[in-house]
Amino acid sequence: MTDPRPAVVAKRLSGLRRVIAFSSAKGGVGKTMCTVVSALALAQGGRRVGILDLDMQGASAHLFLGLTPRLPEEDHGILPLPVVDGVSLMSVAAFTGERALPLRGAEVSDAVLELLAVTMWGPAEFLLVDMPPGMGEEILDLSRLVPRLEALVVSTPAAVSVSVVERLLSVLKELRVPVPALIANMVQDDAGPVRKLARRNGVESVVEVPVDPFLESAIGNPVALASSRAGRAIAEALAGLGYLKGGGK
Amino acid sequence: MHEWALADAVVEAAAAALEGRDPSCLRGVTVLIGQLQAIDREIFSFALETIVSEKPFSKAVFHLETEIASFRCEACGTDWELGDARGLTAEQREAIHFLPESAHAFIRCPACGSPDYRVQKGRGVRISSLEVDDREGCV
Repeated sequence: MTDPRPAVVAKRLSGLRRVIAFSSAKGGVGKTMCTVVSALALAQGGRRVGILDLDMQGASAHLFLGLTPRLPEEDHGILPLPVVDGVSLMSVAAFTGERALPLRGAEVSDAVLELLAVTMWGPAEFLLVDMPPGMGEEILDLSRLVPRLEALVVSTPAAVSVSVVERLLSVLKELRVPVPALIANMVQDDAGPVRKLARRNGVESVVEVPVDPFLESAIGNPVALASSRAGRAIAEALAGLGYLKGGGK
Repeated sequence: MHEWALADAVVEAAAAALEGRDPSCLRGVTVLIGQLQAIDREIFSFALETIVSEKPFSKAVFHLETEIASFRCEACGTDWELGDARGLTAEQREAIHFLPESAHAFIRCPACGSPDYRVQKGRGVRISSLEVDDREGCV
C-alpha cells in the first residue's frame, strides 16, 4: 500500500523561494506573533507570503490576523485564505473553525501531509510555517518532506525557555535544518541568555523583539500588528537578515 | 476541485514507483478511495486520465476501489463505520472531504461519546497495487 501524497509535496512547494518554520520547543514564547508579523513585514516589502499554521491543536494565526475561518476555495487543489494584500493563510481552522481537534500523533502527521499535498500556494514566494511547541511530528515531517527547509527559532530570555529551546536546536542540527537566526522575544532589558544560546549553537544572528505592552490590543488587526513595537523590530531584523533582498518573482 | 491535487499525487507516486524502469511498463494502477474523504469519483477519474495522458505511461489504466471507513474507539473499544456517524452537516462533510482529520472535531464514538478514536480504514487515497508488463526489463 503506497501513500501517494509525499510524491507531490516538493512539486507543490517548488514555486517558493524560502520555506521557514517558526519553531520553539517552548509554548507561549510568541511563535505565532513572530510568524504573523514577519509575514506582514515581508508583504509590506513587496513580497507575497503564505502562512501555514501547523499548530493543529492550538491554531491561532487566524486570530492574530482577525480572520474568520471559512472553508477554502478550490482550484486543482485548495487555496489558502486571502488575508491582506500579499498574505494568505492555510490553517486547520479553515476546516474546524474554533472547535477542538484532539488528534494522536499519526493523525497529526496525516493532516500535515494532506495540507502540504493539496494546498496550492500560487504566487507566494515565502512560506512561513507557524509550528506548535515541541519537536514532534510537525517538525519531523517538515524536515523530511520539505526541500530547503529553514527554521527561525523563538525563545524568551527566561532560563527555562533557553534550556528547552537548546534541545530543539540540537535536534534541528541532527535533522540538518539550518537556523539563520534566533528570535529573542519579549526582551525587557537583556537578551543576553539568548545571545549566549546562539553562540553556543553556532547561530549567527539574534533578532531582539522588545516586550510590547500594547501588543495584546493589536491582535486581530494586521495594520496595528505591523506597526507595533514588535512588528517594527521584526521588520527591521528581516531586512537586516536579507529576507527582502532580490526581486520578486 | 481538489481531487486534481490528489490525482496528481497518485500519478507522481506511480511514476516514482517505477524506479527507473521503462515507463511504458506500467499498465495499471489500483487506487483505494477512502469513504471518509468522500472524493468525487467522476472528477477524480477524469483528473487521473487527463494527467496521465501527458506522461510516458499514458496508456496506464486506473482502477478505483472504495474502502469503507471504519473507526475504533480508544476509550471503550467500540468499532463502528461511517454510516453510524449521523447528523453531520454539509459543511462538516465538506471539511472532512478536504482534511479527513477534521472528523475528530465533528464525530464522536457512538457508544461512549469519546473523541479519542482511530480511523482504521478508509481515510483517504492510497495506491494498493501497480500492474506492470511481464516483458523483459519491466519485472
